[in-house]
Amino acid sequence: NSSYQLSSVPLQILFYINGIYYIFYFLATLAMIVYKSEVFSYPDDFLAPDLALLFVMAILEVLRLYLGSKGNLTEEEAPLGLSLVMTVGSVILSVYFLVWQTYVLKADVILNALLLFTYGLESLLKVVAIAAFVS
Amino acid sequence: VAKLCVCDLLVAQCDVNCCCDPDCSAADFSLFTTCSVPIVTGDNRLCSQKAAIYSLDVEANPPERIFKLIDQVNPSVFCIHATNYKEALSFSSPQMPTSENFDQLLKEFESATFSAEPDSWNMNTDAQSPSDANETYRYEYGVPIQTVDAFLRLPSPVLSSWCSDANPAGFLVNQATKCIRSVSVEKCGNIQAVSMLFYINSSILAVNITVQSVIVQSLNGMWTLLNSSDVLRLPMILDEVCINIVLGVSYHITYTDAGEIIEAAASFVLGAINKEALSIQQSFEISFTQVNTKPVPLSGNPGYVVGLPVRAGFRPQGYPFPVEILFNTNKYGQLTILQSTSNQDCLAAQGARTPVLFGYNMVSGCKLRITAAMKCQPLTQTLLDLLKGQTFPEYVASFGNSRAQDVLDWVPITHFQTSEQRIYNTFQSSCQIPISLEIEVKWTKYGSLVNPQARIVNVTATITSTTLKQLPSGRERTIPITSSVVFTDISSPAEPGYKAWPTINVKLPFDFFFPFV
Repeated sequence: NSSYQLSSVPLQILFYINGIYYIFYFLATLAMIVYKSEVFSYPDDFLAPDLALLFVMAILEVLRLYLGSKGNLTEEEAPLGLSLVMTVGSVILSVYFLVWQTYVLKADVILNALLLFTYGLESLLKVVAIAAFVS
Repeated sequence: VAKLCVCDLLVAQCDVNCCCDPDCSAADFSLFTTCSVPIVTGDNRLCSQKAAIYSLDVEANPPERIFKLIDQVNPSVFCIHATNYKEALSFSSPQMPTSENFDQLLKEFESATFSAEPDSWNMNTDAQSPSDANETYRYEYGVPIQTVDAFLRLPSPVLSSWCSDANPAGFLVNQATKCIRSVSVEKCGNIQAVSMLFYINSSILAVNITVQSVIVQSLNGMWTLLNSSDVLRLPMILDEVCINIVLGVSYHITYTDAGEIIEAAASFVLGAINKEALSIQQSFEISFTQVNTKPVPLSGNPGYVVGLPVRAGFRPQGYPFPVEILFNTNKYGQLTILQSTSNQDCLAAQGARTPVLFGYNMVSGCKLRITAAMKCQPLTQTLLDLLKGQTFPEYVASFGNSRAQDVLDWVPITHFQTSEQRIYNTFQSSCQIPISLEIEVKWTKYGSLVNPQARIVNVTATITSTTLKQLPSGRERTIPITSSVVFTDISSPAEPGYKAWPTINVKLPFDFFFPFV
């Protein structure tokens, strides 16, 4: 009987897919940064921020997915709300990799666009879930 | 890309088969066979870029060029969509210096290498300069002498006879130059280079240039030495004549043996020009003296230089050191030999002598007319004076820069007497007159193989005499008198010096035989 269960199943599925996709995203972006540094002129001043932000994004993503998943499963709005706030940070970082990176390849555009779409969908479902938990 | 054309090499002319050349007209295009440059694009790693495509339509009559500007798309998924790095795909053109960014550009590019952190270079120089600020600079030979704002200038002619003010004076380089400068009476006070102030204005890094003496040359060329040399005389116009124009400057720099300049003095010759004068000749000179020494012209440092006079001197009685003769009638006062004159009569030679120059073998002579009336002894004495000169030195310096105090650096001249004919009967009182003086200077190469210095080892003076047979009265004879100088190189072949083979220094530890020792 789904009326007793407030946890959102689509949200959980989305978290799961997000996790797998993010692993792929992280490895692909890292590999492309290595490729860019070999093929193009990529001085250290520009390479260091890009790499640093990628690792920050990975840590942020792990925390975000864990909190969101826990919040959804235990039907608590606090971790879910925190996860929503962290989503904002992840969105900003994704936009950085989409627009403000040193070299933006077409593959970068595709990966980041997909990630942003996923974030958008997630945020929507989180808001709905929080609304359901609060009331 | 529509404006780029790689094959457009000739300016304002049509290049053959270059379809992108803007100088070609349609008539030229109809003569082409192919297009050497079919496509002009930017970096093809970009996802989408403009491309200019040139082709020839050979089916049309006459053939015409087709120009298309299209967007070329790179299908690869790794094409560059955007870059946020300015120098990513092309070299950035350097910034044009303006008054705003000049200081920043100067700071960035003024050192020998351009580093991303120009401060690290500045820190090194800042650390050094406070300690150097109180010391005077040490100079090496040839280094330009620094003044407060630039270098000490010695105007000299460059390429033509006109004065160029950009010639710096080098340390220990004695120079004397003459050059022409254009002047006019109207611009008398405006031309800097004819005013005394220009030459004494700059100080040689903590040493002011003092005025040693001022000679004033009048319009008709007469020189007057001024009593007071402290007053600065600037050019001024007086009755349409411009006076106090610098005609000559002579710098005397005193230095220590550590390479520091401690004194600088300038002597001036000031002249006057009238309205008709368009140019003047200025002469400049600079000489260096070591402190606490008398300026002696060196013949080499340390080895003798070919062409410079051989230095010689006396050892006065009671004096431990040889003392040099500096002031003689011949001005050189060195080792001299008889100089041949156009009038080959020895007795009318007037004592003309020429200094012996290192490395130059010389022969000179004259003819002596002997009459019956000549007595032997006075003739012998006259000939000896003729051959050897009034003051024949006793010692010759072995190096070009030997000092008078170093006794061991001076080589004594050994004298030999030989006779032309064998004297059969020594008791026969015959007259021996000297007829030739041969000075043989033996020198060797001294020092390192790559920079050998000439050193005089041995000097011998050989007087050859002949018997003077008594002439019947009324007859006269002419005999030649010769003197010569020969330089012989007796240097031994160079020996290579090798380092000693390294030895293996192996010792047993002191407690090797422990139980037994």
